[in-house]
Amino acid sequence: MTTILETRDLVKKFGGLVATDHVNLSIEEGELVSLIGPNGAGKSTFINLVTRMLEETEGDILFKGDSITDLEPHEVVQKGIGKSFQTASIFPELTVEENANIASFGAEHGSFRFNFLRHRNAYPEVEERTLETLRSVGLYEQRNETAADLPYGDKRRLEIGIALASEPDLLLMDEPTAGMSPDETKATVDLIEELQDELNLTILLVEHDMEIVFSVSDRIAVLHRGGIIADAPPDEVQGDPEVQEAYLGGVEL
Amino acid sequence: MSLVGDLIVLLVNGLQQGAIYVLLAIGLSIILGSLKFVNFAHGALYVIGAYVGLLITQEITVSNGQLAEYGLPTLGLGWGFLAALVITPFVVFLVGLVMERVVARPFYDRPDTDQILVTFGLAIVIQELIHALFGGRSFSYELPQEFLGIFPAAGPVDVPFTGTSMDIWRLWVISITAVLVLGVYALIEFTDFGLTVKAATRDAEMVELLGIRVGRPYLVMFGIGAGLAGVAGVVGAPLSNINPEIGMSILVPAFLTVVIGGVGSIKGAVLGGVLLGLTQVSLISIGSFGLGGITINLAPWSTVGIYVLAVIVLLTRPQGLMGSEEVGT
Amino acid sequence: MSDDVASATDPGEPVDGSNSLYDRWASVRDSELTVAIVTLVGVLLAPAVLVTVPPMIGVPSAYSWYQGLVALALIWGIFAIGYDILLGYTGLLSFGHAMFWGVAAYGAGIFSAYVMGSPLVLILFGTVLAVLVAWVIGWISLRRGGIYFAILTLAFGQMLYYIFLSPLGWLTGGENGFNAVQIGPLLGTFDLSSPVPVVPDIFASNWLYVLIGACTVIAVVVGYRVLNSPYGAILQAIRENEQRTEFVGLHVWRYKLMGFIISGAFGGLAGSLYVISQSYVPIENTLNWVVSGDVVVMTVLGGAGSLFGPLLGAGLYMYVRNIVVGIPVIGHYWHLILGLVFIGVVVALPEGIWGGITWIRRRIGSVIGGDDE
Repeated sequence: MTTILETRDLVKKFGGLVATDHVNLSIEEGELVSLIGPNGAGKSTFINLVTRMLEETEGDILFKGDSITDLEPHEVVQKGIGKSFQTASIFPELTVEENANIASFGAEHGSFRFNFLRHRNAYPEVEERTLETLRSVGLYEQRNETAADLPYGDKRRLEIGIALASEPDLLLMDEPTAGMSPDETKATVDLIEELQDELNLTILLVEHDMEIVFSVSDRIAVLHRGGIIADAPPDEVQGDPEVQEAYLGGVEL
Repeated sequence: MSLVGDLIVLLVNGLQQGAIYVLLAIGLSIILGSLKFVNFAHGALYVIGAYVGLLITQEITVSNGQLAEYGLPTLGLGWGFLAALVITPFVVFLVGLVMERVVARPFYDRPDTDQILVTFGLAIVIQELIHALFGGRSFSYELPQEFLGIFPAAGPVDVPFTGTSMDIWRLWVISITAVLVLGVYALIEFTDFGLTVKAATRDAEMVELLGIRVGRPYLVMFGIGAGLAGVAGVVGAPLSNINPEIGMSILVPAFLTVVIGGVGSIKGAVLGGVLLGLTQVSLISIGSFGLGGITINLAPWSTVGIYVLAVIVLLTRPQGLMGSEEVGT
Repeated sequence: MSDDVASATDPGEPVDGSNSLYDRWASVRDSELTVAIVTLVGVLLAPAVLVTVPPMIGVPSAYSWYQGLVALALIWGIFAIGYDILLGYTGLLSFGHAMFWGVAAYGAGIFSAYVMGSPLVLILFGTVLAVLVAWVIGWISLRRGGIYFAILTLAFGQMLYYIFLSPLGWLTGGENGFNAVQIGPLLGTFDLSSPVPVVPDIFASNWLYVLIGACTVIAVVVGYRVLNSPYGAILQAIRENEQRTEFVGLHVWRYKLMGFIISGAFGGLAGSLYVISQSYVPIENTLNWVVSGDVVVMTVLGGAGSLFGPLLGAGLYMYVRNIVVGIPVIGHYWHLILGLVFIGVVVALPEGIWGGITWIRRRIGSVIGGDDE
């Protein structure tokens, strides 16, 4: 089993504030690791460091064995990391199909091409990938609808589809069920599990909904004030006193 | 011809030019920093200040504007420059309040580009209105020789020990600007009002949730920014011409000052304005010099110089000299 | 100025037709051909409809177009289409676009005085110069987005204006403009002001108009091509959600730069045509920020985000500025009125006048019982 993601003594400081405190986390191929912690613990910062939206202060990040700290976000995506955002991040004025198309262009053509004089329908491989993506998240029927008109649950599906279009080796999911009704939440979780099985996806999940976290995770990493205070399978984490203290007055585990 | 004397004159001229930029930049920077609103009509507030000041100070003959056609060839209150200096900022403050309510407020949630477009349109409309009412020709101020019969206001003053002289009005401009800047700084740092504005800059929603309505401080802040631009119009105008186009032409240096100094920072606006003013004046004053047999003439580069300065700052320190690390797009 | 074409107005929509790739290809090619033909017809008919017809039906000559104005409107139209690719599609607001128009005009003008005056070479030279300027300035300005981009482009535009005015005054003629322009005959044989054989005068009275018309058709077709290429989709995606575009692996900055360069190329083409038609390069009508402001107003008024909107806007603006200005009483206020209409469009009609027209057309279409888009 290869180590897909590994952070070594990762530190991020904003002036005097230590947002990420010597984090050592590794994720193996096929695992679903959840990253939890109280608000302000540094989960978003960590994700942003992995996607290179933020520069680290110290430490290293290795993806499939290679350091990615010199890369730009789009290069990281090309290497094989996908991200789904906290709010379903799509292209609202474009149609569902066009949304998937953009992702397919990124996947098939790389980060840049000089093809501004060729018609966009001249690429059958892009077309194929688009339709495949739409089918895998169940949005093929709605492909001609404007993305902004979709119900929120479908927007989330579309977003996951966009993130998966490039067939990433690692998928970062930032609170995918935030703001969803129980039905939508269940549907999303089912989708995630299905995709994980089918594609043998490695997932790093940031979530607040503990039910989901405890039911889908292979491992749970608990972040508190920037540092990891626990990193173990769900039942061990559940009994950990330090974790319970960090969540004092918070969510029921 | 003493070097020290020349340097002092250069310093004063540069600071005075910088002062105008500072007055404009503070308003612009705060509005941009706290209200996150891009106001391309800020220059219009400057030109309004100039014309209002003109009308209060003296009587003018309007020869080819609409007002002349309506049979009002001579306009103006003739109350003198001091009156204009005191009243104009308040008038422009009020204009600013109206602008905030009518133009800015509906656009707070709209994308940056829309804000720029609508205020740009407004700037054009105001410029054209002034052109229509007053005609396109330039007016000039008559600066009084003295204020209240005591303080000298216009004319040259000798710089001691050096044998050169400079325009005393420039010293006035610098002083007035300094007082106003300190006043605004004190307002922001030491009052509850200022605290609300600062807090709202960080997190407007939070402030609202705490039960403080941000609408009022925003409104007043906008008005203050406008008032400062009005002051700039009144104090700057005696040193150059007054015509409808000066609003747009001062807009670029004003924005450059904001960007160089760092958005949302008063210190930055001051630093940026001073740098810009000094750069511009230095390049004119140094004029031409010889270097290894070739004459290099810097004067034509004086206006270009400020743009080069802006580019250098932006490339080396994108957030501005005193801006914070968060680089917003 | 040009007729409505249903399929050509919104290049972002998926193509109608069956799902077979070949069929889609075929209808695409036809679409592009339609756009080209429609533009060509529009370009030829414009002088007839706008210049020759009105006097015949009693419109006073003070209110009617003249061919030089139609040509000027087309040139600005080309400029505006390029600007729209940047504003309407990529979502970047540049306030310094005059630099492309102006640098190309000066470049071509000076080239014609010292090297050669062949119009096609001048166009090539001017456009290439504009592309280079766009490359450099875009490289510097695109590091930050939104308002900083607007301010930086404004600053660079002004910087170039002052450079061409003073330090380079010995070359450019400074305040007085450059008037040593020598425009030669087209392809070495056709003098630009001479009439064109075969084509009747009411359509194109001289070779100059043919040149400008041809360039307009090419510009529209290239614009159509770009907007229907992956770039069209990607640039729009950048406007809609830049972060998401980056996170599908696309290099957003490079695409923005390309958008800027393509937009600048259109400006360069327009600027070169301008100097060819005027035989003179005034500094105020080329590099001054007013030119940058004009193209913004034209594009937004006409309709940002469409292919023909900018052309409409250019035509409207030219008409108002040159003809309406002569009307007694209201004529004085043309700029003021345009400013107010502009504000109205920004506030309430984001798709511009062209958007308004297409909206009305669709409503009529659905009322009559046709297909609902």
